[in-house]
Formats: sequence, C-alpha cells, structure tokens
Amino acid sequence: MTDALDVTLRLLAVFAAFLVLPLVVGQTEHKVMAHMQGRLGPMYAGGFHGWAQLVADGVKFAQKEDVVPAGADRRVFQLAPAVALLPYLLVLLVIPLGPGDAVGQAIDAGVFFALAVMGVGVLGSLMAGWASANKYSLLGGLRTAAQLLAYELPMLLAAASVAMAAGTVSLTGIAGAFEWWWLPWQIVGAVVFFVAGLAELQRPPFDMPVADSEIIFGAYTEYTGLRFAFFLLAEYAGIVVLCGLTTVLFLGGWHGPFGGDGLGWFWTLLKTAALAFVVIWLRVTYPRLREDQLQKLSWTFLVPLALAQIALTGVVKVVIP
Amino acid sequence: MTPSASASASASASPGFPGSGLAKGLAVTLRTMMRKNVTAQYPEVQPELAPRTRGVIGLFEENCTVCMLCARECPDWCIYIDSHKETVPPAAPGGRERQRNVLDRFAIDFALCMYCGICVEVCPFDALFWSPEFEYAETDIRELTHERDKLREWMWTVPAPPALDAGAEEPKEVAAARRTADKLRQAEGQAEGPAEGEAP
Amino acid sequence: MSHGFLSPTGVEVTFLLVGVVTLGAAVVSVTTRQLVHAALWLVVALGGLAVEYLLLTAEFIAWVQVLIYVGSVVVLLLFGLMLTRAPIGRSPDADSGNRGVALGVAVAAAVALVWLVVDAFRTTWIELDGASAGTTEVTGESLFRHWVLPFEALSVLLLAALVGAIVLSRKRNADVDAASSGKAGAARPAGPSTRTAAGAKAAGRAAAGRAAARPGEQGAADAASGDAGRRAEGGER
Repeated sequence: MTDALDVTLRLLAVFAAFLVLPLVVGQTEHKVMAHMQGRLGPMYAGGFHGWAQLVADGVKFAQKEDVVPAGADRRVFQLAPAVALLPYLLVLLVIPLGPGDAVGQAIDAGVFFALAVMGVGVLGSLMAGWASANKYSLLGGLRTAAQLLAYELPMLLAAASVAMAAGTVSLTGIAGAFEWWWLPWQIVGAVVFFVAGLAELQRPPFDMPVADSEIIFGAYTEYTGLRFAFFLLAEYAGIVVLCGLTTVLFLGGWHGPFGGDGLGWFWTLLKTAALAFVVIWLRVTYPRLREDQLQKLSWTFLVPLALAQIALTGVVKVVIP
Repeated sequence: MTPSASASASASASPGFPGSGLAKGLAVTLRTMMRKNVTAQYPEVQPELAPRTRGVIGLFEENCTVCMLCARECPDWCIYIDSHKETVPPAAPGGRERQRNVLDRFAIDFALCMYCGICVEVCPFDALFWSPEFEYAETDIRELTHERDKLREWMWTVPAPPALDAGAEEPKEVAAARRTADKLRQAEGQAEGPAEGEAP
Repeated sequence: MSHGFLSPTGVEVTFLLVGVVTLGAAVVSVTTRQLVHAALWLVVALGGLAVEYLLLTAEFIAWVQVLIYVGSVVVLLLFGLMLTRAPIGRSPDADSGNRGVALGVAVAAAVALVWLVVDAFRTTWIELDGASAGTTEVTGESLFRHWVLPFEALSVLLLAALVGAIVLSRKRNADVDAASSGKAGAARPAGPSTRTAAGAKAAGRAAAGRAAARPGEQGAADAASGDAGRRAEGGER
C-alpha cells in the first residue's frame, strides 16, 4: 500500500514539474528576451508583470478550433503532438533532483534511457511534417530529421565521456561521483552536449527546421489549438530536460558550495535555471544557422571535439585511476 | 564560448581569440538587459510631452476677428468659418456707426488636419493655439470635426508659454505696452509742466 | 520456484501480450499499402521488442534498442522516404510480385530462429526477483570478457562499411570535380545520393562509441549537407 502511495506521489510530483517548469521557462523567455531587446514583455495578464501570460495563452489555445487539413493523414496528424510531448515527460522521470531517493524513478542505464527517449520525440515532428500534406511541413520534417541525425552522435559521445569518467551510466551515479575538478576536465564535453542538445530541440540558433522566413513554421505549420500548444510545450519541456541533464551530467547535479545534501534540490534547480537562462540568451543573441552551416558545425566540429574529449577522459582515467 | 570558426561570420570581423565575436554578441544582449528599457506604457502611464507638442488646436474666440486668414492658408481646407456683420452703434454721440464681424461657426476637421500649424502661425490676433492634448479619437469620423465650443474647451488645456531665458529681449507686446505707458507718463508730465508754467 | 505454463505470472502474461502486439505491428508494417504507415508500425514493433527486452531484465539492451532503432534507424528511414516518395494514402506500387517468396523466406527464418532458441535455452528461466542479469555492468562484462573477439570483428566490419561508403561517395565527387574544374567556386550539384549518405550515417551511428568512426564523419557530413542544396564548400576537397 505504501509502495503504491509512494509511486503515485512520485508520478504526481514529476507530472506537476512537467506542467509547471516549462511554463516557468516560457515566461522567463518572454521577459528575458523582452528586456534583452529593450522591451518590457507581457505586462497585463495576471496583473503583476504579466505573470499569467502563458496561462492566458493556454486558455486561448484551448478555445481554438482543432483543424485537420483535408489532404492530411488524419490519424498520424492527430497522434504526432502526443509523440512529440510524451518522451520529455518520461525523461523528466529519471532526472535526479537530489542524492539518494530524490528521483522520479531511478534507472540503471539512465543516460541511455534519457538520450534514447529524447530521440523518440523527434518522431513526432517527423510524423507532423509528413502527415500535414503541406510542402513546408515536409521540408521542416526533413530538416528535423537531418538535424537529429547530425547532432545525436556528438550528444551521445559527450555523454559517453562523462559516463566513462564516472564509471557508470546511471544518472544518480554520475552526479554522485562528481568532483569539482571534473568541470575543467569535462568542459569540452559539456559544451558539445549542450550545443548538440540545443540543436536537437531546434532552439535558435539551430531552428532551421522551423525557420519562419523560409518554411513558415516547419512541421507545425498546419497545427492549431491544443495540438499546436502541445508542440510548443514539448519545446519548453525539452529545454527543462536538456538543462536538467546537463546539470546532472556535467555540473555535478546536487553538489553545491554549501548546504550539503539537504539543499541538493536547490542546487539542481539553480543550475538548471541558469542553463535555461543561457538557452534563452543564446536565442536572443545569435542569428539562425544556415542548413549547410548547421550540418558542418556538427560533423566537422562537434563530433571531433567530442571524440577528443573521450580520448582525454580515457587518458586521465588511466593515468589517475 | 562555442564554435565560431565554422559557423558564424564573427571570425572575419576581428582576428582575435576564436569565439570572441560570439562573446561580444552575448555581452551586447546582456548589457541591453541590464539597461532600462524604452517601452512607453501609454494607457497606464501618460507620456511626458514636450511643451510645444502639436496635439490639438484650441480657439480663443475673443481674439478672433474672422479675418479668414487661417481658413485660407490651411493646406487641406479643414477650417470652416461662418460669420455675419453687425452694426455697432457709435461709441460716442455724433460718431459714425461701425460694422464688425461676428463669428457664427468655427470648426476644424481633425480628420483632415495634418497638424502643420500654419493656421496657428498665420493668425495675426493670437486666436489659435497648440495644445498637447491628443486623446480625442472617435469611432465616427464625423465626430472629429470639432466645433466652436469644443475648440474653446481645448483652449483651457493650452499650457502657459515657456519662460524666457534670463537676459532675453522682452516680448514685443510687453515692450510696446511699456513704450505706450512711458509715452503716456511723459505726456502727462509735459502736460503738467507747461500748465504750471503757463499759469503764472 | 516452480515454473509452469498453466500458472503464468503477471510478467509472463505481459510478455505474451506485448509479443502479440509486436507481432501484429510487424505484420501490419509489411502488409500495409501506405509506406510511411509501414515505417510507423515498424516503430511500434521495435518499441515492443524493447519492452520485451526490458521484461527479460535486459535493461541496457532495451534502451540501446530504443536509441538505435526507434530513435535513429526509423528516423533515417522516414528521412529517406520523405526525400524520395511518400504520398499520403496508398502507394499503388508498394507491392511486390515476390510476395510468396518473401513469405517463404520469412517463415523459414522464423522457424529456424525459434527452433534454435528453443533448442538452446529449453528450460532456462530468468530469475526476475534476484539480481538483474541484464544490467549495464553485467552486459559490459560479458561483452568485453567473453565476447570481445566477435565484438572486435563486428567493429572491423562496420569500419569496413564506413570506409566503403566514403570511397563510394568520394569517387563520384572526384568525377564531378574533374568535370567542373574550370569553374572554381561555382555552385555544384548536390552530393552523393541520400541512400549512400544514410548508409554512412547509420554505420557511423552504430559505431558511435568507437573512435574508429572518426574518418567517417567528413563524408557523411558532406552528404548530409546536400539536403540544403547549398554546397558552398565545393573547393574544400
């Protein structure tokens, strides 16, 4: 009975985080982006500095008509948002917040689970792109696929490096084995992982698959209402997941300068939030990469860097056992 | 922080440390975030307008002589003036009757007005003034023709003219008034002087 | 603990149900006339297989299955389909006259495999309650202690495939270079066919953990950038 209660509570907590954190990131993006552009951002909804803007957006999306184009493949079209969104919920389940038991569900091969399931999310974009019966959507889907294929490899290699360093592929284990000097040791891997993750999420400056000046909104062009909102939610949930993963893998998760394990959750959240800020910051700062630049960056720059990081990790691991 | 070499054009801009261009971009956005933003929250916060803002034109009827200069100079003919003549009885008995113009209608169509201010400039009797009020949007375009009474209302929103700079030449109206006063005083003095001299 | 077919545990029932779903998805994926639907049903089948691995306590294998097959191979497949021909609705030419032969081969293969597995394992039971037999540690140990030679042989095979893919794609590029040598810097036609690119990338992905994959990236990257149709780096090689 207590087991069932425990599981239910954990699931509820993860689900609540899944619903709240992406909205927090989205609202932060509204405000940070506005201020970086000398604006104020939303100021009306909710009264205080527009804090309820995304809630209002959600209500608006819920009221909209759910349109399926006449030429579309109906079932695939309707299924795609769920396929895009659910993987992030699953990944959020395994990201540890603190040491020991503070995790939705500890998984032995956590790194592999997280990366594998994140890769599945892209299927949603592909399905949407194909099923929309729209050439822009199809182009967006193609670009999504090309981007995923290019950037999953460096991401995986970077994660493999830190797994080698820790001698385990469990997320809790990796964060537990963290020492402060891992930061300079794994910094290249961290950057590669983070950049590749951004590209996999199609965040600017890697948002070629949804480049509005060329292909409207890529695979999501034909979507309206709640299904469209799901895609957007998937993007922001993706940011949370990516920042959480980077925190746990490369920034030491719950390790902080003071407070011990009791404040672990705080450090994890703080690092995640800082990374989310960086994600927004990068979006505001850099222009979109062209498709060929995008591919080149991955194959000629990130992959060699990740391989070099693996080599470095191996050497250090052998020299300092 | 991240690869600039292959991706961005920053490398060509400055030959410094690789990625310095990218860092510069980040610094720019961060600085902008720290700076005060420029958004005007208009409906909540009224804008601070310059004293000579061209918001709306007010009419000071008492000064108007229906000379029609404003209506004739208006480039888009948005000033409507009707008047009639009245005969004024002579000021002093035995004098001549005078005629004077009486204003019947003075209207400005702000749907046509292009806020050039020529009417204000050209008015020789200081009957037209700029007011900084600007919130008179209407749902019906006909409402934008402001009649005499409304133009008079605007008159009370005209700010006082800005103070002159220290040491500036005094306004010519004041100068003229002073000259007249001086002349009068002089004339009085002269009138008194000879009278006293004549008396003995 | 006694094992009997007549008193199945929950895990066994789940295993069977997932197996039925997987089999059904696989059958639909080869019989449907809609190409992309076939690929999507393949996702279901491969995912079902991952769940089966999971139920057999082979956790690591399950996630790798998802990572490689669902996350990459199917994406690659869909990519290829979208690039070439993937109409919404039925594809009239999505059928083959070799249906009978294919069925025969499939049945033969299935029979051989089932016979082999049944014969090899017969009454071996996985203890679900005890220490997990499929954790990353156990898998890694058996892979690099007992099966290291086949592992190396496989990696050499993959490396050979990689090198082959690069050679194939480079040769064609060399021809094009020779043809357009006069016009340096002029825009060149897109690179090698997507299939080659896809093959190279799949191989690169499979050998992801190995530094040996390194020479493959250049070729695969260039091939992939053909997607944009802008190949400004023509003079690079």
